[in-house]
Amino acid sequence: MTSARRFLPLLAVLMLALPEVLHACPVCFDPRAENRLAFLGTTVFLSLLPLGMVAGAAVWLRRQYRQRDYSEDFTTHSEPEH
Amino acid sequence: MTPMALSERLEPVARRPVLASGVLGMLLFVFTEVMMFAGMISAHTIAKAGAPEWPPFGQPRLPERITLVNTAVLLLSGAVLFWAGRTWKRKPADAAPPLLLALFLGAFFVLAQGREWVALLGEGLTLTSSTYGAYFYLIVGGHALHALAAIMGLAWAWRRLWTGALTPAQFGATRVFWYFVVLVWPVLYLTVYL
Repeated sequence: MTSARRFLPLLAVLMLALPEVLHACPVCFDPRAENRLAFLGTTVFLSLLPLGMVAGAAVWLRRQYRQRDYSEDFTTHSEPEH
Repeated sequence: MTPMALSERLEPVARRPVLASGVLGMLLFVFTEVMMFAGMISAHTIAKAGAPEWPPFGQPRLPERITLVNTAVLLLSGAVLFWAGRTWKRKPADAAPPLLLALFLGAFFVLAQGREWVALLGEGLTLTSSTYGAYFYLIVGGHALHALAAIMGLAWAWRRLWTGALTPAQFGATRVFWYFVVLVWPVLYLTVYL
């Protein structure tokens, strides 16, 4: 067993025992309700906005396609036969 | 049925596209721009909620009333461009005057914003004076840059319309960008100024 391998269990113990609990989000655990609400609100806003835009665009395009198909069918059927 | 007639029947029918490629490209670009402004608005909201005082002590209040008038001018510009779009469908040449009017109203908005900035700089609100100043210049400045680009787009569209070279896709893409500039502003006003 190499010396590096012998130190591995010790390193693992140190890695588990030494680190302190850290929160990456500076406002998630803020005692002020206003701050937490702002964070929650913006999270919801940023999550739903792209979905809303994509869904809105899809609905609009679908409606445009339907209108086009309807008008083209109408034009085709109303064309006089030669 | 002869083979010739059959091949004629099976030939794909050219269909009218529901959306011009130029307009679609502009819409995708606008989607990304919306997300950029949404990110800045969110950051501003969190900074504002976390600050003990907003605006911070020693920093001037933003001119809400005069900017409200300016907001009305920008919205009017959007409405005039909408009218130009309607006119274009009937007779393209008739869309030139409302397009030019929309351009001037937009230019008025940017110039008035610039005047406001000069006054605020004189009162000590700079990009580095506080988080308040940094967010103000970042968000409102970002919008002003977009407004400038859109005004140049309108000017380009007007010139092409004048020479009879403006295509529906070009006009559509220009209008989409200007509508974005107009419609995002009230949100920024409500977030930053009030």
